[in-house]
Amino acid sequence: MYYKVSGVTGKLTGATAASAYSPQGLKATVPSQAPPMIFAVPTKVVSETGSVAHYMGINKVPELQKIFQKTDGAPVHLKRGVMDKMLYRSTMGLTIGGTLYCLMALYIAAQPRKPQ
Amino acid sequence: MAHQAHAYHMVDPSPWPLTGAIAALLMTSGLAVWFHFHSTTLMTLGLILLLLTMHQWWRDIIREGTFQGHHTPPVQKGLRYGMILFITSEVFFFLGFFWAFYHSSLAPTPELGGCWPPTGITPLDPFEVPLLNTAVLLASGVTVTWTHHSIMEGERKQAIQSLTLTILLGLYFTALQAMEYYEAPFTIADGVYGSTFFVATGFHGLHVIIGSTFLAVCLLRQIQYHFTSEHHFGFEAAAWYWHFVDVVWLFLYVSIYWWGS
Repeated sequence: MYYKVSGVTGKLTGATAASAYSPQGLKATVPSQAPPMIFAVPTKVVSETGSVAHYMGINKVPELQKIFQKTDGAPVHLKRGVMDKMLYRSTMGLTIGGTLYCLMALYIAAQPRKPQ
Repeated sequence: MAHQAHAYHMVDPSPWPLTGAIAALLMTSGLAVWFHFHSTTLMTLGLILLLLTMHQWWRDIIREGTFQGHHTPPVQKGLRYGMILFITSEVFFFLGFFWAFYHSSLAPTPELGGCWPPTGITPLDPFEVPLLNTAVLLASGVTVTWTHHSIMEGERKQAIQSLTLTILLGLYFTALQAMEYYEAPFTIADGVYGSTFFVATGFHGLHVIIGSTFLAVCLLRQIQYHFTSEHHFGFEAAAWYWHFVDVVWLFLYVSIYWWGS
């Protein structure tokens, strides 16, 4: 049990360990020196603030819009060049190969089993 | 320099409908080959082709809308109708499974013991994990609405944070449900109770995974500045789908978990 003199009644009363070990609290309540007063911050250009404009990356949409609006006649699925072409070719390869494999598998599956 | 005198979108020729159709062919025949000849090659090939098709088709739609500006107001209206019709078709899909459940549970046959839950079945306590799951999905409905308002108000950081939270809640639901499936005292083979329970909740779980994936794609797009405060239909479609998934769960919870116990 810890004790203190109550600020209200002026009599001895119970206290917590925390207030017994540090009666004025752990943090200095009054700063020893006033903090320096700042009246104005030099204005920053929006592109330099980096607070909202660059949260998780910069905006690349205008640049992509230019790429995809090039009048080169390419359909949208090939508009980005080599990567698109490679992905398209592998997909089409699997499509055609898969169709042939499927037709073969169905032909074999349709053959009657040998009687035992 | 105008190329068209109307506001509609005449799409470029695309190979993805063909590859998608072939993927469906390979998956279905592959399923039959798996059942009869124990080989999963054809079915796996179909699944890979399906994933490639979905990735490239939806990537192209993003290119056409966000980068080429083809999603004018009339085009967006068509996309809205499309999403609403698709969700309506999914409602009917689930209606079928609810019909099956009520058919069996309202008039339980003598083979079940003339009672519901059937004799020998210990149903899950609706006030344990299922109730937590309900709270998780309802909370995710709140966070996704928060995301929508953040996008409309141009609050980039809040939109990203609330959308991430929505996805995490969706993943939490999936993890909890997977654990429930593992720990359940009954299986899909336990008569009509097991069948209706696991088929209805199983398809719902699949839709939660699809919805979470859709939201995750929206998160990537939001980070990459695709959405503006006026135009963000991709996100709205994902949010509609997510609310639909939430409502289906509420019906599942009340009918199968609560009334059905």
